[in-house]
Amino acid sequence: MRNMIYISRTIVCIISFALLAILLLPALSLGQGEEVTSYINRYKQYEVSTNYSERYEVRPSQRSPLVRKFRSIDREPFAYSSTASSVRNRNLLADSHRGVKFYDNRRCEECHVNETHDIHTVRANITCRQCHGLEPIASINHYYSPMNPIRRHAYVCAKCHEGSSASFASYVIHEPAAGSSSARTGFPALYYSYWFMLVLLAGTLTFFIPHTILMGLREMFGRKKDK
Amino acid sequence: MQTTRIKRFSILDRGFHLFLILTFLIQTATGFSRLFFPTVWGKNLNAVFGGYETSIFIHKWVGVLMIWGFIFHTLYLLTRIDWKNLRSSLFGPDSLIPNFQDVKHLWQRILWFFGIGSRPRMGRWAYWEKFDYWAVYWGMPLLAITGIMLMYPVAASNYVPGWTLNIAVLLHRAEAILAVSYIFIVHFYVGHLRPSSFPMNEAMFAGSIPMEELEEEKPAWFDQLKNEGKLETIKVKPPTLVYKIVYFIFGYAALGFGVYLLVNGIIYSRYITLH
Repeated sequence: MRNMIYISRTIVCIISFALLAILLLPALSLGQGEEVTSYINRYKQYEVSTNYSERYEVRPSQRSPLVRKFRSIDREPFAYSSTASSVRNRNLLADSHRGVKFYDNRRCEECHVNETHDIHTVRANITCRQCHGLEPIASINHYYSPMNPIRRHAYVCAKCHEGSSASFASYVIHEPAAGSSSARTGFPALYYSYWFMLVLLAGTLTFFIPHTILMGLREMFGRKKDK
Repeated sequence: MQTTRIKRFSILDRGFHLFLILTFLIQTATGFSRLFFPTVWGKNLNAVFGGYETSIFIHKWVGVLMIWGFIFHTLYLLTRIDWKNLRSSLFGPDSLIPNFQDVKHLWQRILWFFGIGSRPRMGRWAYWEKFDYWAVYWGMPLLAITGIMLMYPVAASNYVPGWTLNIAVLLHRAEAILAVSYIFIVHFYVGHLRPSSFPMNEAMFAGSIPMEELEEEKPAWFDQLKNEGKLETIKVKPPTLVYKIVYFIFGYAALGFGVYLLVNGIIYSRYITLH
C-alpha cells in the first residue's frame, strides 16, 4: 500500500512539473516554418526565395535522397559521338516531352505507370496535373520549373501543406518499390530499411511460430515423458 | 475448492496490460481500416469507425494516449527498480532483463521439445515472456516516433530531412504488421490455446496463479520463494466468480477480435504495400 502511494505521488509530481514547465518556460516553437539549420543555410534559402542572387550562389543543394549521379554507365551505349552520349539526359529540358510521338492524345498513366501507385495519387486522390501543372511540363531540374527542388516546396507542396520547407519537399512522392534493385541504387535508405524490417518480421515469426507449435505439441503429447 | 494462489501481477501491472489490450486493439483496427481501405473488408471496417477520416483521427489520438501510457509505464519501471541494490535488481532472478540463463533455458527447452533432456526449470520470467515484453517495449517507441512524424510532417521536416518521412511510413507499417502478427499468433497461442493455458491463462487478469501451476511452470521461482521465506506473504485469495466471468468474456472477446483482424489481414494482404 505504501508502495502505491509512493508511486502515485511520484507520478503526480512528474506530471505537475511537466505542466508547469510547459506553462512557464518560453513557448517551444516548432520552427515556425523555417528550418532548424545554420545561419548560412538560412541565408542561402532567403537568397533563393527572393531570386535576387548570382547564378553561382544558387546551385540547388544536394537535398534529394535520390542518387542521381550521371555515371558513365547511365550514358547511351551506342551514341553518335562522344558529346552526343550526354544529350539524352532529359532532366534539363524546357519541355520534357519534346519529341515524344503522339503525345497530345495520350494520358499520363500510359507511360508513367509506376507513378500512379503511391500515397498521394491513391489516397489523396490527386491528379497528375494538379502538381505537375499544364503543358509544357518542364524537366524537373530545369532552372525555371516549379518542380525544381529550389522552389518545389513553395510552388507545389504548399498548395496543400501550409508551411512546408525545402526539407519537406525532399520527400519522395513517387517512391520506387522499396524492395527493388532500382531502389537499391536510387533510394538506398528506403531499400535497406525495407529489407531490414522484412528480415526482422520473417526472422521473428520463423523462429517463434515453430517454437510455439513445438511447445504446444510437447505439452499435448509429452505428458508421460515429463518428470 | 480453495486452491492456494500465489500473487504474480499487481493491480497496477494488470491495469497497464488492460490499457495495452484496449489501445492495441483500437490501433490495430483503425490502422488496418486505413491500410486496407482499397479492399471491401477495409471499407466495412472504416464504416465501423465512422469513415476513412474518422479512422485516422481515432488512430492518432489513441496513439498519443498510448505514448502517455508508455511514459507512465517507464516511470513506473523506474520506481520498481531497487536503486540501492542496482546490480541484483537489474540482473537478479526477479528482473525482466534477459541474461545468459535465458539463453541456456532456450537451448534446453528446444532439446526438451524433441525429447532430449529434461524440462528446464523456469524462474519467475520465462525467456519467451521476457521476449514478449521487450519486443513490445522497443516496438512502441518506433511506432510512436514514426507516428508523430507522420502526424506533423511539416514540423518534422524542419528537424530531419523530409525524405525520412518516406522511411517513417515504411517503418510504421512494417513495425505495426510485425507487432500485430506476433501478438495475435504467438502471444495468443501461449496465453490461450496451448494445453497448459487452455482455456485461458488467467494470470494477467486474476493477478495470481494456483500453487500447482507455480510448481510446474516456474519451479525455480518456487524454490527461490521458499528459500527467501516469501511464499506465505504473497498468497492471495482466488478471484471471485463474478470477476472470473467478466474477464473470461472480455478475454475471449479480445481474442476473437484479434483473430478476426489477423485472418482478414492475411486474406487481404495481397492488396496492400508497405509503402
